[in-house]
Amino acid sequence: MIAERYRDAVATVTAVAEVHAAGNDRHAVFPKEALHELRETKLLGLLVPAEYGGPGGELDDLVDITIELGRHDLSVAMIFAMHCQQVRTLACCAGPRLRAQVLPAVAEGELYLASVTTEPSTGAQLLVSGSTTSLVAGQVVVDRMAPIVTGGSHADAFLITVRSPDGSPNQVDLVYATADQLTAEVTGTWDALGMRATESVPMHLAGAVPATQIVSSHQDYRSIVATVFAPVAHLGWAAAWLGTALGAYSRVIGHIRGPAGRRGFDPGSDLLKTRLATCRANLDVTHALLRHTARAIATDSDIARTGVQLLVNTLKTESAVRCFEVVHELVELAGLRHGYLPDSPLRLERSFRDLRSASLNFGNDRLRLVNGSLALMDTRSDLV
Amino acid sequence: MTLHADLDAVLRKHLKYVDGEALDPDRPLRDLGLDSMRAIDLLFALEDTFHVVIPDELLTDHTFATGRSLQVTVDRLRRQATQPTDG
Repeated sequence: MIAERYRDAVATVTAVAEVHAAGNDRHAVFPKEALHELRETKLLGLLVPAEYGGPGGELDDLVDITIELGRHDLSVAMIFAMHCQQVRTLACCAGPRLRAQVLPAVAEGELYLASVTTEPSTGAQLLVSGSTTSLVAGQVVVDRMAPIVTGGSHADAFLITVRSPDGSPNQVDLVYATADQLTAEVTGTWDALGMRATESVPMHLAGAVPATQIVSSHQDYRSIVATVFAPVAHLGWAAAWLGTALGAYSRVIGHIRGPAGRRGFDPGSDLLKTRLATCRANLDVTHALLRHTARAIATDSDIARTGVQLLVNTLKTESAVRCFEVVHELVELAGLRHGYLPDSPLRLERSFRDLRSASLNFGNDRLRLVNGSLALMDTRSDLV
Repeated sequence: MTLHADLDAVLRKHLKYVDGEALDPDRPLRDLGLDSMRAIDLLFALEDTFHVVIPDELLTDHTFATGRSLQVTVDRLRRQATQPTDG
Protein backbone atom coordinates (compact mmCIF):
# COMPACT_ATOMS: atom_id res chain seq x y z
CA MET A 1 0.00 0.00 0.00
CA ILE A 2 1.24 3.48 -0.83
CA ALA A 3 2.58 5.31 2.22
CA GLU A 4 0.24 8.01 3.48
CA ARG A 5 2.67 10.83 2.75
CA TYR A 6 2.70 10.06 -1.01
CA ARG A 7 -0.96 9.24 -1.54
CA ASP A 8 -2.23 12.67 -2.57
CA ALA A 9 0.72 13.22 -4.87
CA VAL A 10 0.17 9.88 -6.60
CA ALA A 11 -3.55 10.59 -6.98
CA THR A 12 -2.76 13.95 -8.60
CA VAL A 13 -0.39 12.34 -11.10
CA THR A 14 -2.68 9.45 -11.99
CA ALA A 15 -5.67 11.78 -12.50
CA VAL A 16 -3.69 13.78 -15.05
CA ALA A 17 -2.11 10.68 -16.63
CA GLU A 18 -5.56 9.18 -17.08
CA VAL A 19 -6.85 12.21 -19.01
CA HIS A 20 -3.99 12.24 -21.50
CA ALA A 21 -3.10 8.55 -21.84
CA ALA A 22 -5.20 7.76 -24.91
CA GLY A 23 -4.10 10.85 -26.85
CA ASN A 24 -0.43 10.39 -26.01
CA ASP A 25 -0.65 6.76 -27.10
CA ARG A 26 -2.38 7.65 -30.36
CA HIS A 27 0.14 10.33 -31.28
CA ALA A 28 3.16 8.54 -29.74
CA VAL A 29 4.09 11.60 -27.71
CA PHE A 30 5.63 11.91 -24.28
CA PRO A 31 3.29 12.37 -21.27
CA LYS A 32 4.55 15.85 -20.50
CA GLU A 33 1.42 16.66 -18.47
CA ALA A 34 2.09 13.73 -16.11
CA LEU A 35 5.80 14.63 -15.93
CA HIS A 36 4.79 18.15 -14.95
CA GLU A 37 2.75 16.74 -12.05
CA LEU A 38 5.60 14.38 -11.07
CA ARG A 39 7.78 17.48 -10.80
CA GLU A 40 5.20 19.63 -8.96
CA THR A 41 4.35 16.92 -6.42
CA LYS A 42 8.11 16.25 -5.94
CA LEU A 43 7.54 12.56 -6.64
CA LEU A 44 10.53 12.77 -9.01
CA GLY A 45 12.59 13.17 -5.85
CA LEU A 46 11.14 10.06 -4.17
CA LEU A 47 14.46 8.25 -3.76
CA VAL A 48 16.53 11.32 -2.85
CA PRO A 49 17.89 10.86 0.70
CA ALA A 50 16.75 13.33 3.36
CA GLU A 51 20.22 14.89 3.64
CA TYR A 52 19.79 16.17 0.07
CA GLY A 53 16.28 17.50 0.65
CA GLY A 54 14.31 14.46 -0.52
CA PRO A 55 11.84 12.30 1.40
CA GLY A 56 14.30 9.38 1.55
CA GLY A 57 11.83 6.97 -0.06
CA GLU A 58 12.62 3.24 0.01
CA LEU A 59 12.43 0.63 -2.74
CA ASP A 60 9.06 -0.48 -1.36
CA ASP A 61 7.76 3.05 -1.99
CA LEU A 62 9.08 2.88 -5.55
CA VAL A 63 7.29 -0.44 -6.06
CA ASP A 64 4.01 0.75 -4.53
CA ILE A 65 3.88 3.98 -6.50
CA THR A 66 4.99 2.41 -9.79
CA ILE A 67 2.28 -0.26 -9.53
CA GLU A 68 -0.32 2.48 -9.07
CA LEU A 69 0.99 4.52 -12.01
CA GLY A 70 1.03 1.34 -14.12
CA ARG A 71 -2.67 0.80 -13.46
CA HIS A 72 -3.33 4.02 -15.34
CA ASP A 73 -0.57 4.36 -17.94
CA LEU A 74 2.35 1.99 -18.45
CA SER A 75 4.40 4.62 -20.27
CA VAL A 76 4.18 6.99 -17.29
CA ALA A 77 5.03 4.17 -14.88
CA MET A 78 8.12 3.17 -16.89
CA ILE A 79 9.30 6.76 -17.23
CA PHE A 80 8.97 7.23 -13.48
CA ALA A 81 10.60 3.92 -12.55
CA MET A 82 13.57 4.42 -14.89
CA HIS A 83 14.10 7.96 -13.62
CA CYS A 84 14.11 6.59 -10.04
CA GLN A 85 16.66 3.95 -11.11
CA GLN A 86 19.03 6.74 -12.17
CA VAL A 87 18.40 8.66 -8.94
CA ARG A 88 19.07 5.60 -6.79
CA THR A 89 22.29 4.94 -8.70
CA LEU A 90 23.49 8.51 -8.16
CA ALA A 91 22.50 8.46 -4.49
CA CYS A 92 24.33 5.17 -3.90
CA CYS A 93 27.33 5.39 -6.13
CA ALA A 94 28.25 8.92 -7.20
CA GLY A 95 30.98 10.84 -5.40
CA PRO A 96 29.97 13.38 -2.72
CA ARG A 97 30.51 16.34 -5.05
CA LEU A 98 28.29 15.00 -7.83
CA ARG A 99 25.62 13.94 -5.33
CA ALA A 100 25.53 17.43 -3.82
CA GLN A 101 25.37 18.93 -7.30
CA VAL A 102 22.50 16.80 -8.59
CA LEU A 103 20.31 15.36 -5.84
CA PRO A 104 18.88 18.58 -4.32
CA ALA A 105 17.64 19.62 -7.76
CA VAL A 106 16.07 16.17 -8.27
CA ALA A 107 14.33 16.52 -4.90
CA GLU A 108 12.87 19.84 -6.08
CA GLY A 109 11.50 18.23 -9.23
CA GLU A 110 13.85 20.21 -11.44
CA LEU A 111 15.67 17.26 -12.99
CA TYR A 112 14.13 14.44 -14.97
CA LEU A 113 16.84 11.85 -15.68
CA ALA A 114 16.94 9.51 -18.64
CA SER A 115 19.04 6.40 -19.06
CA VAL A 116 21.33 5.88 -22.04
CA THR A 117 22.51 2.28 -22.15
CA THR A 118 21.56 0.94 -25.58
CA GLU A 119 24.18 0.90 -28.31
CA PRO A 120 24.06 0.22 -32.01
CA SER A 121 26.74 -2.49 -31.66
CA THR A 122 25.89 -4.20 -28.39
CA GLY A 123 22.13 -3.70 -27.93
CA ALA A 124 21.16 -3.32 -24.30
CA GLN A 125 24.14 -5.17 -22.76
CA LEU A 126 25.13 -3.14 -19.72
CA LEU A 127 28.63 -4.49 -19.32
CA VAL A 128 29.93 -3.81 -22.82
CA SER A 129 30.19 -0.51 -24.64
CA GLY A 130 31.31 0.28 -28.16
CA SER A 131 31.16 4.03 -27.52
CA THR A 132 34.71 5.22 -27.17
CA THR A 133 35.58 8.25 -25.08
CA SER A 134 38.70 10.24 -24.50
CA LEU A 135 39.93 12.28 -21.60
CA VAL A 136 41.10 15.75 -22.63
CA ALA A 137 42.20 18.29 -20.03
CA GLY A 138 40.05 16.78 -17.29
CA GLN A 139 37.01 16.50 -19.54
CA VAL A 140 35.37 13.28 -20.73
CA VAL A 141 34.60 13.67 -24.41
CA VAL A 142 31.41 11.78 -25.26
CA ASP A 143 30.25 11.11 -28.81
CA ARG A 144 27.69 8.40 -28.83
CA MET A 145 24.77 6.98 -30.77
CA ALA A 146 21.92 5.59 -28.69
CA PRO A 147 19.21 3.69 -30.62
CA ILE A 148 16.56 3.86 -27.87
CA VAL A 149 16.40 6.57 -25.20
CA THR A 150 13.16 6.55 -23.22
CA GLY A 151 12.00 10.16 -22.86
CA GLY A 152 15.33 11.27 -24.33
CA SER A 153 14.15 14.52 -25.86
CA HIS A 154 12.40 15.55 -22.62
CA ALA A 155 15.20 14.72 -20.18
CA ASP A 156 17.07 17.37 -18.23
CA ALA A 157 20.04 15.06 -17.73
CA PHE A 158 21.30 11.61 -18.63
CA LEU A 159 23.23 8.73 -17.11
CA ILE A 160 25.23 7.38 -20.03
CA THR A 161 27.27 4.19 -20.38
CA VAL A 162 30.46 4.72 -22.35
CA ARG A 163 33.67 2.84 -22.86
CA SER A 164 36.29 4.10 -20.39
CA PRO A 165 38.72 6.55 -21.93
CA ASP A 166 41.14 4.40 -23.99
CA GLY A 167 39.62 1.23 -22.48
CA SER A 168 38.50 -2.08 -24.03
CA PRO A 169 34.78 -2.61 -24.75
CA ASN A 170 34.47 -4.40 -21.40
CA GLN A 171 35.74 -1.38 -19.49
CA VAL A 172 32.61 0.67 -19.08
CA ASP A 173 31.98 3.90 -17.21
CA LEU A 174 28.73 5.53 -16.19
CA VAL A 175 28.78 9.27 -16.85
CA TYR A 176 26.33 11.95 -15.73
CA ALA A 177 25.63 14.75 -18.21
CA THR A 178 23.04 17.50 -18.24
CA ALA A 179 21.17 18.17 -21.46
CA ASP A 180 22.83 21.57 -21.81
CA GLN A 181 26.30 20.03 -21.59
CA LEU A 182 25.58 17.95 -24.67
CA THR A 183 24.37 18.32 -28.18
CA ALA A 184 21.47 15.88 -28.04
CA GLU A 185 20.18 15.30 -31.53
CA VAL A 186 17.12 13.14 -32.17
CA THR A 187 18.02 11.09 -35.22
CA GLY A 188 14.75 9.27 -35.90
CA THR A 189 11.22 8.65 -34.71
CA TRP A 190 9.44 6.35 -32.27
CA ASP A 191 6.42 4.77 -33.90
CA ALA A 192 6.14 1.50 -32.00
CA LEU A 193 3.43 -1.11 -31.44
CA GLY A 194 3.11 -0.15 -27.77
CA MET A 195 4.77 1.94 -25.05
CA ARG A 196 4.20 4.71 -27.53
CA ALA A 197 4.14 7.54 -24.99
CA THR A 198 7.66 6.70 -23.79
CA GLU A 199 8.82 8.44 -26.96
CA SER A 200 11.94 6.26 -26.92
CA VAL A 201 13.74 7.99 -29.74
CA PRO A 202 17.16 7.27 -31.24
CA MET A 203 19.69 9.96 -30.32
CA HIS A 204 23.16 11.17 -31.01
CA LEU A 205 24.78 12.60 -27.88
CA ALA A 206 27.98 14.57 -28.12
CA GLY A 207 29.84 16.90 -25.79
CA ALA A 208 32.35 17.06 -22.99
CA VAL A 209 31.73 16.87 -19.27
CA PRO A 210 34.14 17.24 -16.34
CA ALA A 211 35.73 13.96 -15.26
CA THR A 212 34.15 14.55 -11.84
CA GLN A 213 30.85 13.58 -13.48
CA ILE A 214 31.99 9.98 -13.97
CA VAL A 215 29.70 8.11 -11.57
CA SER A 216 31.90 5.06 -11.67
CA SER A 217 35.34 4.24 -12.78
CA HIS A 218 35.31 0.92 -14.58
CA GLN A 219 36.67 -0.86 -11.50
CA ASP A 220 33.42 -0.48 -9.64
CA TYR A 221 30.99 -0.15 -12.53
CA ARG A 222 30.30 -3.90 -12.56
CA SER A 223 29.42 -3.83 -8.90
CA ILE A 224 27.09 -0.86 -9.45
CA VAL A 225 25.27 -2.83 -12.17
CA ALA A 226 24.99 -5.96 -10.02
CA THR A 227 23.93 -4.28 -6.79
CA VAL A 228 21.93 -1.20 -7.85
CA PHE A 229 21.41 -0.51 -11.53
CA ALA A 230 20.00 -3.88 -12.64
CA PRO A 231 18.10 -4.79 -9.44
CA VAL A 232 16.31 -1.42 -9.26
CA ALA A 233 15.52 -1.55 -12.99
CA HIS A 234 14.00 -5.02 -12.69
CA LEU A 235 11.98 -4.03 -9.61
CA GLY A 236 10.65 -0.93 -11.36
CA TRP A 237 9.82 -2.70 -14.61
CA ALA A 238 8.09 -5.59 -12.85
CA ALA A 239 6.06 -3.14 -10.74
CA ALA A 240 5.02 -1.16 -13.83
CA TRP A 241 3.99 -4.30 -15.74
CA LEU A 242 2.14 -5.71 -12.74
CA GLY A 243 0.29 -2.41 -12.32
CA THR A 244 -0.87 -2.43 -15.92
CA ALA A 245 -1.97 -6.09 -15.82
CA LEU A 246 -3.72 -5.40 -12.50
CA GLY A 247 -5.47 -2.32 -13.89
CA ALA A 248 -6.74 -4.27 -16.91
CA TYR A 249 -7.89 -7.15 -14.72
CA SER A 250 -9.71 -4.89 -12.30
CA ARG A 251 -11.48 -3.00 -15.10
CA VAL A 252 -12.70 -6.30 -16.57
CA ILE A 253 -14.03 -7.48 -13.19
CA GLY A 254 -15.74 -4.11 -12.66
CA HIS A 255 -17.29 -4.38 -16.11
CA ILE A 256 -18.58 -7.92 -15.56
CA ARG A 257 -20.11 -6.87 -12.25
CA GLY A 258 -21.71 -3.72 -13.73
CA PRO A 259 -25.02 -3.49 -15.60
CA ALA A 260 -23.51 -3.39 -19.10
CA GLY A 261 -21.29 -6.38 -18.41
CA ARG A 262 -24.13 -8.39 -16.92
CA ARG A 263 -25.85 -8.21 -20.28
CA GLY A 264 -22.72 -9.31 -22.17
CA PHE A 265 -21.19 -11.88 -19.79
CA ASP A 266 -22.59 -14.81 -17.89
CA PRO A 267 -20.95 -14.63 -14.43
CA GLY A 268 -22.12 -18.21 -13.90
CA SER A 269 -19.94 -19.47 -16.75
CA ASP A 270 -17.28 -22.00 -15.72
CA LEU A 271 -15.00 -20.80 -18.52
CA LEU A 272 -15.20 -17.21 -17.31
CA LYS A 273 -14.40 -18.22 -13.76
CA THR A 274 -11.41 -20.40 -14.64
CA ARG A 275 -10.01 -17.67 -16.89
CA LEU A 276 -10.34 -15.08 -14.14
CA ALA A 277 -8.74 -17.47 -11.66
CA THR A 278 -5.79 -18.02 -14.03
CA CYS A 279 -5.32 -14.26 -14.35
CA ARG A 280 -5.52 -13.74 -10.63
CA ALA A 281 -2.97 -16.51 -10.04
CA ASN A 282 -0.52 -14.89 -12.44
CA LEU A 283 -1.00 -11.55 -10.70
CA ASP A 284 -0.51 -13.03 -7.23
CA VAL A 285 2.56 -15.03 -8.26
CA THR A 286 4.13 -11.98 -9.89
CA HIS A 287 3.33 -9.84 -6.87
CA ALA A 288 4.80 -12.40 -4.47
CA LEU A 289 7.99 -12.67 -6.55
CA LEU A 290 8.23 -8.88 -6.77
CA ARG A 291 7.90 -8.37 -2.99
CA HIS A 292 10.25 -11.26 -2.22
CA THR A 293 12.90 -9.88 -4.58
CA ALA A 294 12.48 -6.36 -3.18
CA ARG A 295 13.05 -7.70 0.32
CA ALA A 296 16.14 -9.62 -0.80
CA ILE A 297 17.57 -6.50 -2.45
CA ALA A 298 16.85 -4.39 0.63
CA THR A 299 18.19 -6.84 3.20
CA ASP A 300 20.69 -9.31 1.69
CA SER A 301 24.25 -8.64 2.77
CA ASP A 302 25.64 -9.57 -0.67
CA ILE A 303 23.36 -8.66 -3.56
CA ALA A 304 26.08 -9.59 -6.04
CA ARG A 305 26.03 -13.26 -4.99
CA THR A 306 24.78 -15.80 -7.51
CA GLY A 307 21.49 -16.67 -5.82
CA VAL A 308 20.34 -13.05 -5.58
CA GLN A 309 21.41 -12.28 -9.14
CA LEU A 310 19.43 -15.29 -10.38
CA LEU A 311 16.38 -14.07 -8.45
CA VAL A 312 16.69 -10.50 -9.73
CA ASN A 313 16.85 -11.74 -13.33
CA THR A 314 14.02 -14.22 -12.80
CA LEU A 315 11.82 -11.38 -11.54
CA LYS A 316 12.30 -9.64 -14.87
CA THR A 317 11.68 -12.63 -17.14
CA GLU A 318 8.76 -14.08 -15.17
CA SER A 319 6.92 -10.82 -14.55
CA ALA A 320 7.24 -9.99 -18.25
CA VAL A 321 5.74 -13.33 -19.27
CA ARG A 322 3.00 -13.48 -16.66
CA CYS A 323 1.78 -9.89 -16.95
CA PHE A 324 1.46 -10.26 -20.71
CA GLU A 325 -0.30 -13.59 -20.21
CA VAL A 326 -2.85 -11.89 -17.96
CA VAL A 327 -3.83 -9.30 -20.52
CA HIS A 328 -3.75 -11.88 -23.33
CA GLU A 329 -6.20 -14.02 -21.37
CA LEU A 330 -8.38 -10.97 -20.65
CA VAL A 331 -8.57 -10.15 -24.37
CA GLU A 332 -9.74 -13.71 -25.01
CA LEU A 333 -12.28 -13.44 -22.22
CA ALA A 334 -13.61 -10.02 -23.22
CA GLY A 335 -13.90 -10.79 -26.93
CA LEU A 336 -13.72 -8.55 -29.97
CA ARG A 337 -15.69 -5.54 -28.76
CA HIS A 338 -13.92 -4.97 -25.44
CA GLY A 339 -10.72 -6.91 -26.04
CA TYR A 340 -9.67 -5.72 -29.47
CA LEU A 341 -11.12 -2.28 -30.16
CA PRO A 342 -9.19 0.76 -28.96
CA ASP A 343 -12.27 2.73 -27.91
CA SER A 344 -13.41 0.22 -25.26
CA PRO A 345 -13.33 1.75 -21.76
CA LEU A 346 -11.56 -1.44 -20.62
CA ARG A 347 -8.48 -0.36 -22.62
CA LEU A 348 -7.32 -3.95 -23.06
CA GLU A 349 -6.10 -3.23 -26.57
CA ARG A 350 -3.58 -0.65 -25.33
CA SER A 351 -2.54 -2.72 -22.31
CA PHE A 352 -1.97 -5.68 -24.66
CA ARG A 353 0.22 -3.64 -27.02
CA ASP A 354 2.12 -2.05 -24.14
CA LEU A 355 2.75 -5.30 -22.27
CA ARG A 356 3.92 -7.05 -25.43
CA SER A 357 7.12 -5.06 -24.98
CA ALA A 358 7.86 -6.58 -21.56
CA SER A 359 9.74 -9.66 -22.74
CA LEU A 360 11.70 -7.55 -25.23
CA ASN A 361 12.68 -4.76 -22.87
CA PHE A 362 16.12 -6.22 -22.16
CA GLY A 363 15.31 -9.47 -23.96
CA ASN A 364 14.11 -12.41 -21.89
CA ASP A 365 16.14 -14.78 -24.08
CA ARG A 366 19.35 -12.94 -23.31
CA LEU A 367 18.63 -12.80 -19.58
CA ARG A 368 17.85 -16.52 -19.52
CA LEU A 369 21.24 -17.21 -21.13
CA VAL A 370 22.87 -15.30 -18.29
CA ASN A 371 20.78 -17.15 -15.72
CA GLY A 372 21.60 -20.52 -17.28
CA SER A 373 25.30 -19.77 -16.90
CA LEU A 374 24.85 -18.54 -13.33
CA ALA A 375 22.81 -21.68 -12.55
CA LEU A 376 25.73 -23.91 -13.59
CA MET A 377 27.97 -22.02 -11.14
CA ASP A 378 25.65 -22.79 -8.24
CA THR A 379 25.92 -26.52 -7.53
CA ARG A 380 24.18 -26.37 -4.17
CA SER A 381 21.38 -24.30 -5.66
CA ASP A 382 20.52 -22.53 -2.43
CA LEU A 383 17.36 -20.52 -2.86
CA VAL A 384 17.24 -16.94 -1.62
CA MET B 1 55.96 -14.65 -14.36
CA THR B 2 54.34 -15.90 -17.54
CA LEU B 3 51.37 -18.20 -17.76
CA HIS B 4 51.77 -21.89 -18.56
CA ALA B 5 51.40 -22.33 -22.31
CA ASP B 6 48.43 -24.68 -21.94
CA LEU B 7 46.61 -22.20 -19.67
CA ASP B 8 47.35 -19.36 -22.07
CA ALA B 9 45.88 -21.45 -24.88
CA VAL B 10 42.68 -22.27 -22.97
CA LEU B 11 42.19 -18.69 -21.81
CA ARG B 12 42.73 -17.25 -25.25
CA LYS B 13 39.76 -19.21 -26.63
CA HIS B 14 37.41 -17.56 -24.13
CA LEU B 15 38.61 -13.98 -24.30
CA LYS B 16 37.21 -11.73 -26.96
CA TYR B 17 39.76 -8.95 -26.83
CA VAL B 18 43.20 -10.57 -26.93
CA ASP B 19 45.90 -10.10 -29.54
CA GLY B 20 48.77 -12.40 -30.57
CA GLU B 21 50.99 -11.44 -27.62
CA ALA B 22 51.40 -13.71 -24.61
CA LEU B 23 48.73 -12.89 -22.03
CA ASP B 24 49.72 -10.51 -19.27
CA PRO B 25 49.13 -12.62 -16.11
CA ASP B 26 47.87 -9.59 -14.20
CA ARG B 27 45.56 -8.09 -16.76
CA PRO B 28 41.93 -8.31 -15.50
CA LEU B 29 40.19 -11.00 -17.53
CA ARG B 30 36.99 -8.93 -17.46
CA ASP B 31 38.75 -6.24 -19.45
CA LEU B 32 39.75 -8.86 -22.02
CA GLY B 33 36.13 -9.87 -22.57
CA LEU B 34 35.35 -12.46 -19.88
CA ASP B 35 31.73 -12.20 -18.77
CA SER B 36 29.53 -14.51 -16.72
CA MET B 37 28.46 -16.53 -19.75
CA ARG B 38 32.02 -17.01 -21.00
CA ALA B 39 33.19 -17.75 -17.45
CA ILE B 40 31.13 -20.93 -17.25
CA ASP B 41 32.51 -22.16 -20.60
CA LEU B 42 36.02 -21.33 -19.39
CA LEU B 43 35.35 -23.25 -16.17
CA PHE B 44 34.45 -26.42 -18.08
CA ALA B 45 37.45 -26.02 -20.38
CA LEU B 46 39.82 -25.63 -17.42
CA GLU B 47 38.40 -28.68 -15.67
CA ASP B 48 38.66 -30.80 -18.82
CA THR B 49 42.18 -29.64 -19.70
CA PHE B 50 43.74 -29.87 -16.27
CA HIS B 51 41.65 -32.77 -14.89
CA VAL B 52 40.56 -30.88 -11.81
CA VAL B 53 37.22 -29.95 -10.30
CA ILE B 54 36.91 -26.33 -9.24
CA PRO B 55 34.62 -26.38 -6.19
CA ASP B 56 31.75 -23.92 -5.75
CA GLU B 57 33.52 -21.95 -3.05
CA LEU B 58 36.25 -21.06 -5.55
CA LEU B 59 33.81 -19.89 -8.24
CA THR B 60 34.34 -16.28 -7.30
CA ASP B 61 35.34 -13.09 -9.04
CA HIS B 62 38.66 -13.40 -7.24
CA THR B 63 39.48 -16.79 -8.81
CA PHE B 64 38.58 -15.53 -12.28
CA ALA B 65 40.17 -12.11 -11.84
CA THR B 66 43.40 -12.64 -13.80
CA GLY B 67 45.43 -15.32 -15.54
CA ARG B 68 47.67 -15.42 -12.48
CA SER B 69 44.81 -16.05 -10.05
CA LEU B 70 43.53 -18.87 -12.25
CA GLN B 71 46.98 -20.41 -12.55
CA VAL B 72 47.45 -20.35 -8.78
CA THR B 73 44.06 -22.00 -8.31
CA VAL B 74 44.59 -24.68 -10.95
CA ASP B 75 48.11 -25.46 -9.67
CA ARG B 76 46.84 -25.88 -6.13
CA LEU B 77 43.98 -28.14 -7.19
CA ARG B 78 46.36 -30.29 -9.25
CA ARG B 79 48.72 -30.64 -6.31
CA GLN B 80 45.84 -31.64 -4.07
CA ALA B 81 44.67 -34.18 -6.63
CA THR B 82 48.08 -35.88 -6.81
CA GLN B 83 48.82 -35.91 -3.06
CA PRO B 84 48.52 -39.39 -1.55
CA THR B 85 45.68 -39.66 0.91
CA ASP B 86 45.93 -41.40 4.27
CA GLY B 87 44.79 -45.00 4.50
